[in-house]
Amino acid sequence: MMYRGSASNMSTSPLSALKKIDVNFTIIIFVLNFIGLVNLYSATQSPEAVGLSRLFSQQIFWLTMGWIIYLVITVLDYQIWTRFAFVFYVINVIALALVGFVGKSFYGAQRWLDLGFFRYQPSETMKLALILVLAKILAQRSSYNGLGLRELAYPALLTAIPFALVVKQPDLGTALLLLGIFASMVIFVRVKRSILAAAGLILLISVPMVWNFGLKTYQKNRVLTFIDPGRDPRGTGYNSIQSKIAVGSGQFAGKGFQKGTQSQLEFLPERHTDFIFSVLSEEFGFFGSLSTFILFLILFTRSIETASQAREKTGALIVVGVLSYLFFHVIVNIGMVIGLMPIVGVPLPLLSYGGSSLLTTMLGLGLISSVYFRRYLF
Amino acid sequence: MSHHIQNPEEDVKEYQSRFKILYIFVGLAAVIISSRLWYLQIVKGSELDAFSRRNLIKETKIPSPRGLVLDRNNEVLVDNLPGSEATINPQQTTHLEETAEALSEIVQIPPKKIVNLVETSRRKNGPFRSVRIKENLTREEVARIKRIRIHHPGLNVNSTILRHYPLEEDGAQLFGYVGEISKRQIRKLNQKYKGKLRFEQGDIIGKSGLEENWEEQLRGQEGIDFVPVDARGRKTESQSVDILGFEPQPPTAGNNIVLTIDKDIQEAAYIAMQREDKIGPRTGAVVAIKSNGEILAWVNSPSYDPNQFATGISSELWKELINHPFKPLRNKVIQDHYSPGSTFKPIVALAALQEGEITEDTIVSAPSVIRFGGRPYHDHTKTGHGNITVAEALERSSNVFFYKMGIALGIDRMAAYARLVGLGRETNLNLAGEQPGLVPTKEWKLRRFGEAWQPGENLSNAIGQGFVLATPLQMALAFNTIGLEGKLYQPFLVKKVVSTEGEVLEEFEPKLLYDASVPGEREVYVSKENFRIVKKGLRAVANGDRGTARWWKIPGVEIAGKTGTSQVMSFSADQIYDKCNERPIHQRHHGWFVGYAPAAMPDITVAVLAEHACAGSSGGAPIVRDVIKAYMEKYHPERLTTHDRKVANQ
Repeated sequence: MMYRGSASNMSTSPLSALKKIDVNFTIIIFVLNFIGLVNLYSATQSPEAVGLSRLFSQQIFWLTMGWIIYLVITVLDYQIWTRFAFVFYVINVIALALVGFVGKSFYGAQRWLDLGFFRYQPSETMKLALILVLAKILAQRSSYNGLGLRELAYPALLTAIPFALVVKQPDLGTALLLLGIFASMVIFVRVKRSILAAAGLILLISVPMVWNFGLKTYQKNRVLTFIDPGRDPRGTGYNSIQSKIAVGSGQFAGKGFQKGTQSQLEFLPERHTDFIFSVLSEEFGFFGSLSTFILFLILFTRSIETASQAREKTGALIVVGVLSYLFFHVIVNIGMVIGLMPIVGVPLPLLSYGGSSLLTTMLGLGLISSVYFRRYLF
Repeated sequence: MSHHIQNPEEDVKEYQSRFKILYIFVGLAAVIISSRLWYLQIVKGSELDAFSRRNLIKETKIPSPRGLVLDRNNEVLVDNLPGSEATINPQQTTHLEETAEALSEIVQIPPKKIVNLVETSRRKNGPFRSVRIKENLTREEVARIKRIRIHHPGLNVNSTILRHYPLEEDGAQLFGYVGEISKRQIRKLNQKYKGKLRFEQGDIIGKSGLEENWEEQLRGQEGIDFVPVDARGRKTESQSVDILGFEPQPPTAGNNIVLTIDKDIQEAAYIAMQREDKIGPRTGAVVAIKSNGEILAWVNSPSYDPNQFATGISSELWKELINHPFKPLRNKVIQDHYSPGSTFKPIVALAALQEGEITEDTIVSAPSVIRFGGRPYHDHTKTGHGNITVAEALERSSNVFFYKMGIALGIDRMAAYARLVGLGRETNLNLAGEQPGLVPTKEWKLRRFGEAWQPGENLSNAIGQGFVLATPLQMALAFNTIGLEGKLYQPFLVKKVVSTEGEVLEEFEPKLLYDASVPGEREVYVSKENFRIVKKGLRAVANGDRGTARWWKIPGVEIAGKTGTSQVMSFSADQIYDKCNERPIHQRHHGWFVGYAPAAMPDITVAVLAEHACAGSSGGAPIVRDVIKAYMEKYHPERLTTHDRKVANQ
């Protein structure tokens, strides 16, 4: 089923399989998971955090699941997934639509499907399904000349459907992420300059339109308070201010494990999910936050390397897609925690508590790892 | 999979130049985020660290208990009780309506009113100040609020100190009450006590009476506590407060003040005023002073319960008190002045004797009416009193005798003696709203009305009806001076200021202002001789065969005094002898009785003004008798005869 001689490598011993795995990449994921666990422990195991302690053991369960998924996906041929990309895509779109009817509401938005043992968030896996389906299509259509309008129409439509569904939930953050993934992959494979310019122009015009007609008040508030957090220090701007105080007060060395007053005394909202990086920054300081960020950067550059060594376009595009997914999550999450971006509910991959996010991330990383596993060797 | 088999090298080569873009993006993000982290954690680190500390520690005030008010024997008159209040902090509430709804069920205040209170305060005082919703919570209310508190951020139960007045309505106007400082008062009081006390929003201060006057001593120093709180302002258990070295400052209690008031006599006076006899409970004022100026009892009626003020007075109750026809909030002992009526006659007698218009033995004809300036002036009896001496004139309260004295003396000479015994000026008691009373003179009338003094006015003022006005306290002082044959003492209420440890910080001694029997000290004087002549008359009022208050005696102790009637309105001649009790209540005269005991040399002087009681003998004298009796039973039981001692013991 494989190309070239590399197919024979597949069936060799587990030891040689291990040699093909990107060990550095895997170790970095492991370290980031560990950092995540340490912070989650700090955020959930203090005497103040009654009711959160359960989350820690749950996260360990998700991590175990995540690693199994990562390793399985790594050794499996990623082409299996692209082959069934449309199936995944359709299932996810149906699940997303279902959320609108039977989903669990949380913070005023319907994002979950209750599967009994697990509250499944279809918008998370939707991102991966979109990456796979876009990778497949774009690999077929891309050329040196760049994509024209006709080649773009289909992938654009495939993005627009889940985009619309997620906006309806409403989950603007995820919707913009889907758009970001699409844009990243499309721009990566080249788009005609005229189209790029037109898209830029449309974006410029649509921003005020969306502001006036498309956004809900709380969404506008988030953006407004991002621009000026002091306008409502106890309301929408509160989280942003408290988070900045948490990060800054860590100074160089941090306040120490479980000594972060901002997080331990609940000044930080959602400290085990969206604001886990604040906990890290407060308790481990500049040293801790920068080190962690550097680990992410290494993860990104390793991924780019993997993409450049991919055996075929599809592989490279899957990596670019997953990379953009991770990149946006990390940048938006850390950006909002340190006051560079508005507060949107985006978790920090590998660190934030949450099964959907973690499993999706491990799945995505598994795909990158799988592309490396089957990389082109000179 | 195989429909687009291509050369993989060719394949990925197409993208080779594109990876650069990805590196650029990652690099850009790396630079931006790292420098932002550097800025926040290194450049702004210590600043934000200070912020986080302030976040964690909330400075809270520990209320300081006000000093106690004790009677002369250290019996408690005003003290403190522990209480609880429910507050809502506007900044921390998330769902005010729901919180109000939940709290409403417990404290029985409509949720709309709670929301209004919070919203008004948020607008007026900003979101950071907690809003008091209900004070003086019951134990059950506290427990129930604490149970729902978890679901309602911003809702709190604070412990407070509740001012408690065990005597309730008795003496309320004297002790005063406490309440939350108003914005205007903050400015006013900070100016008044500049450098000594600091007043802030939310402070509980004395609003009237001694509470207001002795604020400086009674008020304690608030303590400061550092409480670790979470983002919702809820108290948390954390050791970090100690680690950061915050040390709470305990509150200092205010100083206690020991009054000259005697609780037993105070209560006797109050009970006497409330007694249901022929007249029924009286409205008006009672003040009892020891001969050295120490005030023993101070009662105003009707009264109010200051404990209701301590728990936040309702506007309904306030309205009721303000609109009450007999003014329960008023401190009538000093804040209202009345015509002294016949109680002014002893002063005119002093003047007539000292000025040589009469002697002890001068016989004056006192019929039931005389004509002066073409107008009849009536006695209060239809028969008149025949030919009488000054002592007899006092005993029977002859009007005509004193009309004649008025004609002989003229207002200015009468006024000089009224001033001599302390009328017409504030007593310097230092309580808010004291009335100076009025001792009219020719000059005063010209100044006040631009009119000359009419000779006829000498007559009315000689029997205490014209312009002359006096407070009950002034009358007590004047009679005390007469009883002591000239010694005018400064009245006072506070004997000692004592710290909570029992150390006496300040002590007040009786102060003799002057002796009216010493010539040359004041504009006029009265010889001891003449004082004794007047005292004879006053003794006869309660003890003589025809004394106007001869019914009211204490076996063993002689009371001397004078009845008086303060006319509320003037009546035509045919109305004068109408039965007072048959008139509508607001048209009835006030009854005075001012008396002292023992008649020979007083230990205690009591003035009673019984509003609308028609006469002093029935309206005032029984109360004076009761107060004096209570005093004698407590301090001089040996003076009472056996019979009465037995009665007293029953």
